[in-house]
Amino acid sequence: MLSAGAILILAVIQGATELFPVSSLGHAVVVPALFHLGFTYSDKDLVPILTLLHLGTAGALLVLYRDEWWRIIRGFIRAAIRGTIETSDERLAMMLVVGTIPTGIVGFFFVNQLTKLFGDPRAASAFLIVNAAILAGAEVFRRRDERRRHLEEPGTAHGLPANPEAALTARHAEDDPGYLGVERLTIRTALIVGACQIAALFPGISRSGVTMAAGLVAGLRHEEAARFAFLLATPIILSAALLEVPNLSGSSSTLAIGAGAAVLAGVVSYLSARFLLRYLRFGRLDPFAYYCAALGAAGLVFIR
Amino acid sequence: MRPNVSIAIALVVLAVAFAGFAIFYWTTKTSLFASDYGIHSKHAILFTVLAVLSLIAANFARRSGAARAR
Repeated sequence: MLSAGAILILAVIQGATELFPVSSLGHAVVVPALFHLGFTYSDKDLVPILTLLHLGTAGALLVLYRDEWWRIIRGFIRAAIRGTIETSDERLAMMLVVGTIPTGIVGFFFVNQLTKLFGDPRAASAFLIVNAAILAGAEVFRRRDERRRHLEEPGTAHGLPANPEAALTARHAEDDPGYLGVERLTIRTALIVGACQIAALFPGISRSGVTMAAGLVAGLRHEEAARFAFLLATPIILSAALLEVPNLSGSSSTLAIGAGAAVLAGVVSYLSARFLLRYLRFGRLDPFAYYCAALGAAGLVFIR
Repeated sequence: MRPNVSIAIALVVLAVAFAGFAIFYWTTKTSLFASDYGIHSKHAILFTVLAVLSLIAANFARRSGAARAR
């Protein structure tokens, strides 16, 4: 049986990593093996705990975007009944629905098989390195695009300072002027960005990471890419967790500790999401890429 | 027939098929697309959601076809 300490460690890991682009599933597989925490991802005791932790994370996202979700749900109902899209809320609602369907279907049928096939710590470590490459690749693409735009419009166009080489290394221009907000994506692009979440079924590939990377490539501002990633993640995380709730089993003490851990995971998720949104006003995804590469390399070297 | 009306009809047919699957999974023990033999309510919920979404998509296609016809 999992100790209370192990469950609380899992809660913090889950809360901190679910929304950061570093793969919570990869961490749940790699970290216990790397630090000999005394349990593995495949432990049956872990299933109800992980379900509760995911509920905590989904709850945090709902709280974070509570006003927006209310508008999205109303927009969805209005647009569905009318059969046309007229407002930005309706458009966002339909983009989220379209972006969620592919991952929802593939995940529903294949998540268990994929987790069994690739849920081994060394495989997850390798996928963490792939995740690092995805994040770094998206930023390389974005830097090139920013440089190209800057060269096309000399001076301080797009709000970029006179020396683009210096500015484009670690930080991007304030609010990424010239790039899009979520509401200006096309439905087709939303479908492609949403479908990228399928990659996150492999332990080690981050759902928010691939969605943010795809959003950046699609021309979203950094902060907007994160917002879209969080909005897209909410129905998937929430429905996956809710569908597992009827299967919750275990002693009442385990479930009570799990419920407490869910609250902890929710609080950590909320704080990490707020931090990430603030960080991405100026920051890039590179530090997360370096971190994933380092953790993946450590997993490959030290886990036998 | 306008192209979007054809799509709307196809989506309604799809919705009926999904609804059929949903009823099947609610009422019948099976191992179809599932790991074990039994009633699979999660599958039923998924197909119910897909049926509703297909109907919504059909509504969009119908309106779009009507707008083109005007």
